[in-house]
Amino acid sequence: MTDWPAGYGRIVLDEVTSTMTAAALRVADAPLWVLARRQTAAKGRRGRVWHMPAGNFAASLVMRPGDAPAQLALRSFVAALALRDALALHVAALALKWPNDVLLAGDKVAGILLESTGGALIIGIGVNLAAAPAPDAVEPGALRPTALADHGVTVTPEDFLTPLAAAFAQWEARFVRDGFDPIRTAWLAHAARLGEQITARTPRDTFTGRFDTVDSAGNLVLATATGRITLPAADVHF
Amino acid sequence: MTQNTHDSDTAFIAALAALLTSNDLTEIEVTRSSGDDNMLNVRVSRQMTAAPVQAPAPVQHVVAAPAVAAPAPVSSDPSSLPGVVASPMVGTVYLQAEPGTPAFVTVGAQVAEGQTILIIEAMKTMNQIPAPRAGTVKRILVEDGRPVEYGAPLMIIE
Repeated sequence: MTDWPAGYGRIVLDEVTSTMTAAALRVADAPLWVLARRQTAAKGRRGRVWHMPAGNFAASLVMRPGDAPAQLALRSFVAALALRDALALHVAALALKWPNDVLLAGDKVAGILLESTGGALIIGIGVNLAAAPAPDAVEPGALRPTALADHGVTVTPEDFLTPLAAAFAQWEARFVRDGFDPIRTAWLAHAARLGEQITARTPRDTFTGRFDTVDSAGNLVLATATGRITLPAADVHF
Repeated sequence: MTQNTHDSDTAFIAALAALLTSNDLTEIEVTRSSGDDNMLNVRVSRQMTAAPVQAPAPVQHVVAAPAVAAPAPVSSDPSSLPGVVASPMVGTVYLQAEPGTPAFVTVGAQVAEGQTILIIEAMKTMNQIPAPRAGTVKRILVEDGRPVEYGAPLMIIE
């Protein structure tokens, strides 16, 4: 039985528009986890709809780390490692896709979204616990959705939150104490397709190359036919 | 001095040169510091033969930053020119909160200090970049969906 991490607040709400919005209203109480049983307008990255069937997990952590923006963005990896740990209590075959996707047997079981504004950082995490959205509800070319229930696991959102919050607190403490290097090393140890050919899409370009590493600033490093490139932002496709 | 730093510096200087032209200035001098031992001092100038005729200024676009991004220095503020808002990080620029919604700001708009003027994404983190001061948006120097370098001029707010 995991204990709730010291220093972090926790509230559970029945229904919100999105946990990101609900967390943004509570910056004064940071660091605080906001869990919601239902979201009426959940969003993914760049306005994409996030489908949340009943019984799934949706929570946002609002914190005020006081870091420069580039440092804030490295919390993407901290959150991915914490989410991986929380999922690893229930399932194996987990892998990480740059920068913060956690894959279950190669399928999309969760999503992480980070927003920084005015010194506050909000990390939203959605996990398909009870049900995955229908495959035709996700964008063409996106990973196939899956849920823990599809793998024979039953867990409630409240029960999922505590080990997730504990794991996040541990990785966050490590990041604050030792910097990005141990986070990067741990992330790479679980990386999917390292050393293999992957495709990275930016709003303007598509790059295909060998996934060499993640550099010390968190950038995706690809060896392409025209040379080595580093990308701070891209959608990775296998 | 690494190749990445060199590329980043070159992009920064190129952006300053573009600013010089787009604003009919004769000289810009800026010192950019990103760490104790990493300082860049640039002065770009040009000769003017006649005062330019003032015309409604179109939005000027800086030549796209290279897609190959240098690792971002993670601390210290970029020094800024009067009016210029410099990028605090490497990433992809978004001028709207999400596709299909109005831009955060447009040329000519009045902004308040702290108001979000654009988003820079890095590592799937959407960083809302605030106006460092109240004023009028004179120029938008970046295009939606383009990569930006650390220290690159984003907007001019006067």
